[in-house]
Amino acid sequence: MEKTLKKEKLNSLITGLKDKGYKTIAPKKDNNLITLCEIQEADEIHFDHVQTNNSIKEYFLPKTEKILSYTIEKTKVSIEEPEGFAVKSVVFGSRPCDAASLPIMDKVFNWDCTDKFWIERREAITIVTIACDKCDSYCFCTSVCLAPDAKQGSDVLLTKISDDEYLVETETEKGEGLIKELETVFSEPPSGTPDRQVATVEKKFEIDKVKPWLDENFVHKIWAEFSTKCIGCGACTFVCPTCHCFDIVDECTMSKGDRVKNWDGCQFKMFTLHTSGHNPRSTQDQRWRQRIMHKFKYYVEKFDNILCVGCGRCSRVCPADMNISEMLEIISTDEGQPEPVSKE
Amino acid sequence: MDNIYTPYLMNISDVTDEAPGVRTFRLNFQNEDEGKNFKFQAGQFALYSAFGYGESTFCIASSPTRKDYVECTFRQAGRVTNALSELNAGDTIGFRGPYGNVFPIEEWEGKNLVFVAGGIALPPLRSVIWNCLDLRDKYKNITIVYGAKTVADLVYKNELKEWTARDDVNLVTTVDPGGETPDWTGKVGFVPTVVEETAPDSKDTIAIVCGPPIMIKFTLPVLEKLGFKQDKVYTTLENRMKCGLGKCGRCNIGCTYICKEGPVFTAEEISKMPDEF
Repeated sequence: MEKTLKKEKLNSLITGLKDKGYKTIAPKKDNNLITLCEIQEADEIHFDHVQTNNSIKEYFLPKTEKILSYTIEKTKVSIEEPEGFAVKSVVFGSRPCDAASLPIMDKVFNWDCTDKFWIERREAITIVTIACDKCDSYCFCTSVCLAPDAKQGSDVLLTKISDDEYLVETETEKGEGLIKELETVFSEPPSGTPDRQVATVEKKFEIDKVKPWLDENFVHKIWAEFSTKCIGCGACTFVCPTCHCFDIVDECTMSKGDRVKNWDGCQFKMFTLHTSGHNPRSTQDQRWRQRIMHKFKYYVEKFDNILCVGCGRCSRVCPADMNISEMLEIISTDEGQPEPVSKE
Repeated sequence: MDNIYTPYLMNISDVTDEAPGVRTFRLNFQNEDEGKNFKFQAGQFALYSAFGYGESTFCIASSPTRKDYVECTFRQAGRVTNALSELNAGDTIGFRGPYGNVFPIEEWEGKNLVFVAGGIALPPLRSVIWNCLDLRDKYKNITIVYGAKTVADLVYKNELKEWTARDDVNLVTTVDPGGETPDWTGKVGFVPTVVEETAPDSKDTIAIVCGPPIMIKFTLPVLEKLGFKQDKVYTTLENRMKCGLGKCGRCNIGCTYICKEGPVFTAEEISKMPDEF
């Protein structure tokens, strides 16, 4: 279904969503950061940015979430299941790269058994994406088979066609349902071919060359060379829309407790540390290699998808100025013979 | 929809001190129906929780042929295992599992078996050892080589006596040099050396090895020298795990997730994995 949305109708849209019982999450400027967060009014929505600092991930895999509660009474324990965690919501104005991360991550959260915390939120949340009309030097969606107007994962895709108007395209039944629910807000599609204002994102590397290189070069000096400056802060993993690794810990008072799932990251030494003190990934270059391998080799072999959407956040936030697309550019143009280093 | 992270609630029905800091729990399902429907096979693992402290991963140490209970043996080492060791018979613990793949014991029928274990790595093999002993007619000679640092560190001391007394099991125990006591009648020496001296002919024989990385590293070449083909040598791996279900992203070695595709592997499969153990 095609429609248009005039900017002047935004107020009616956000109010309409509220009336229909949706919580709205949208980009908002807060302390100079553009953050995807819950909004109440259309005025709060920020449009003129490349990317939000946080990704869409936290609305499906929260930074911390209760996976069960329990009460301990002498020798007995009773368990209570969390409820109400999947709230009917609309994410409005996330980028196509963020939306594309969702169907990719569905695969791991559905692998053999289903993580209901992820899946029930996926069912409850509708994604209304705005195609990018600008980008920066960190963006590389076009290098990972996506585009500034990619449709994957979006229920509805908005594309700017003039300063005050968006083209509205529904991509799923859920998206179509949403537009129908708020029909009066939208106008009929324009006649003729609309002028889609979509950014041009430069292609930085040939993705087809990355996996074959990784297949051959688990041992290579580049891992240590490139990761020398990594301080292991893990910021890249937290801002990444596709990094989904988590920890499970108990938080408890004397008799009541919660078991919670927290974001974790492969860049931390503790991540793989055995109780014995042995650590299979004891050095930062091994942990950096794990991040690249997981995204561009392991996930591809398991689920037939690259675990990266080219949003560029990891490189934007890196305090040591490490840039993943630079690394991938080096890999994809490396014609030389592998130069293995022996492992001590 | 079911919550895959919800554990079964189990009663600790028996506690056995095996060695300094090493303890075995016998567990029974609090919900009888859950107990009746519960099935596992030798080689699988589970996550055991001390409520208030968290979950810890160990193999199931009892045999699937003993259907009334599940046992686990653990060493007090970290936050959760210390909390577990504070629990007594009658207390409740959480149990999530069984997870992972299994030892293909049906494929081993009609063959000789040699089990090689070091230290706290006997528990993962105990499940499959008892499973095969409970189906004794299906296997030919069964040899168990078990070593620990000291005599005190040997686990399942009563079962070691039982296996010594049986004439259908050849048990060889050893302790590291300096770990023997005056009345020690077993061998003194490291496991790889003892395997070289005592292992049966590799013809028609399956080797199952579990132990600390250093023991595995030196035992595999010995088995190869004795003529064991890599696909006839099995081991079980462990890595830090949180979910046990292939989601939390940390137990992989290369493309292989220990929790889903393991923990049981052949030496041949391990030789193809990248060096990240």
